[in-house]
Amino acid sequence: MNLFEKIFNHQIISRLEDSGTFMVTSHERAWLKTMLEHPAAADAFTADTLDKLHSALETDQVMDISQHLIEKAHTMEKQVYHPLLRPLRRHIMNKTGIRITYEIKGGRVNTDHSGFPYKLEYSMVKREWYLLWYHIRHHAFMSTRLKKIHSVTPEPIDPFAAESIIKKIGKTLESRKSEAVIEIVRVYNAELSRILYAFSSFEKNVEYDTENDTFRVRVSLLGDEMEYLLSKIRFLGKRVRVVKGDYLKRRMLESSTKALERYVVIAADEELSS
Amino acid sequence: MAKESFDKEIQFLRMLVLTSGAFSRQQFAERLGISVHTFDKTIRRLKEVVNSVHQNLSQEQSKEFSESLRFSYYDSTDPLLLFLFRAKSVKESESQRISLLLAAMNEQALTAMELLDMCCSGLPSDLPLPDEKTIRSDLKYLEEVGVIKREPGPRPFRYCIQDDLVRSLSDEELLDLYDFVDVMANTQVPSVQGYLLRDGLKKHLLRNQARQYAVEPFLYKYHYYSRILDEAHLFTLLHAIRHRRKVRFLYFSPKSEKSYASKNTNPLFERDSEGKAEKTLPLKIVYDHQYGRWYLLSHGREGIRKYRMEGITQIEEDESVDEVWYEEKKSELTEKIRYSWLIDTGRPVTVRARFYNPEGSEPNFVKERVMLQGQWGQIVFEDEHSFIYEITVNGITEIKPWLRSFGSSCEVLEPAQLRREMIAEWKEIQSYYESV
Repeated sequence: MNLFEKIFNHQIISRLEDSGTFMVTSHERAWLKTMLEHPAAADAFTADTLDKLHSALETDQVMDISQHLIEKAHTMEKQVYHPLLRPLRRHIMNKTGIRITYEIKGGRVNTDHSGFPYKLEYSMVKREWYLLWYHIRHHAFMSTRLKKIHSVTPEPIDPFAAESIIKKIGKTLESRKSEAVIEIVRVYNAELSRILYAFSSFEKNVEYDTENDTFRVRVSLLGDEMEYLLSKIRFLGKRVRVVKGDYLKRRMLESSTKALERYVVIAADEELSS
Repeated sequence: MAKESFDKEIQFLRMLVLTSGAFSRQQFAERLGISVHTFDKTIRRLKEVVNSVHQNLSQEQSKEFSESLRFSYYDSTDPLLLFLFRAKSVKESESQRISLLLAAMNEQALTAMELLDMCCSGLPSDLPLPDEKTIRSDLKYLEEVGVIKREPGPRPFRYCIQDDLVRSLSDEELLDLYDFVDVMANTQVPSVQGYLLRDGLKKHLLRNQARQYAVEPFLYKYHYYSRILDEAHLFTLLHAIRHRRKVRFLYFSPKSEKSYASKNTNPLFERDSEGKAEKTLPLKIVYDHQYGRWYLLSHGREGIRKYRMEGITQIEEDESVDEVWYEEKKSELTEKIRYSWLIDTGRPVTVRARFYNPEGSEPNFVKERVMLQGQWGQIVFEDEHSFIYEITVNGITEIKPWLRSFGSSCEVLEPAQLRREMIAEWKEIQSYYESV
């Protein structure tokens, strides 16, 4: 199997698009057939559709990749599909409102709140699905784990209201964006590739100061993403330093100070007990 | 014609994604070990592909190449680097002919002669007309890649497009299929074929009255966008593994400054490359979720060898080896990496760390994360404030960043060396911020 097949060539693909032809290769079918063996498939399709797919792929091969590939340091896969994905993605597509009952922090339940679904978001870190939605009465942009949703049903909404909510969410997201600048401590420039890999999952720009041979990563992110960025910065340790972003700096100082306290306190305890 | 290699494009795109905007043209070319002229040529070629794949790029977006490759999380979930796999060059006449053939077989099953007639009348007059042999070899190729199938029946054979996959499904079912492909391509490896299929299905859905809004209901947080570049080598290596064949390649250790050496076809101009010629027997492939990177583990003269996939260029298959011996080497490796956090094959050590539960009644996200990411480690002790996690790993280098990422919620207890190192690092980190 070669990923650089001429059948995937961009000119062929765009011509097929013009003529409205759907084309699928055995590579793609083999991939699909392999993925259908994943338990997630049972939540993704009705039993009937699954049967149809299996018979359409009957003569295709399954990839034997799992025998030769080892995945390391991944988050345990709690959930790839969630039963609510299918109904919710349809509500999103139809731009319909929702009536939602969900659990909030501390175990309290909010019953039958009116909302508008925006997108479904999967966290690769937590391996879980979230519904991003707009709370109509509170005028708030929400993110709720699917597993915390007790029930959700469609509710009519005025199409104009729906469009204005979509616009509003866009603006909210834009306004919540902030920026942090992280410098790669120069003695670790040799590890540049690894460090940049660690930041490659963020929306970012890299600046290179030729004179001082120093790299700076300008990360653009939403407020609730700070925690994840912090864990990446701690992950890289002394190789990087926050140069812009007071909150991040304060948190890093706090982390390091508290961490050192832990070590000192325990060391003293041990001396006392021995 | 020499086999088309995409090493240059891959290195180029990787550097572009990782260092987005950091280097000038000159610096960029220098770091890649290519001339500015080659740099310009490569960028022109990639631009051409990008523009034809993303016809909907706004004027503004297509202005700057690196700009158009920057992703904006909430705007689109299309994997921008996918266009690399659309870059295989095909002659204009061939791409016209193949798309014409496929469009015709989309309508009905046709014989080679019927297709020839159709081509002769359908191709623009400035292109050379194909002969029967050309059409037959096109059909053979298309059948090989599984795009068309031969209908049962007597000669002359009839061919039609192989699209049972979508033809048998209702609109609702197609939507489910699209979603499944989207989710799996984004959450599993490998993903390139999945992204290609997603692309085809997306266009199919959009043709059948679905609106743009309908095809992007999902977002995925924290993806390593460059991970799909390394899949380019994946299938070559898997093929070698399956057939117990050695491979040869020019290796650029990621720590070396340059990451690509041009392969001049004219031997007179051959420069000394700075990469190292390697010949090795591939045994396993490792995908590291911590950084989104791929590794090749193999057997070489010095025993187990490890290569970062991104450093591999000009890869070629070589002779095969004895099956029994191969299995022996493979099980040796499996045994060696059993306790590797990533790929370290050093001496196993027991690491013990105390994790502190977050204060307050919040869900215990520290414990949750340790359980999810702590691989085969175990929680061996627990009280109301903290718990102790224990794991046997090869060496302490690879697990250290993970432990450190917990900040003050994690205190390393053993081994003493790791504990000392951690204290020293926190001191240094603290010194970065003391003036805050």
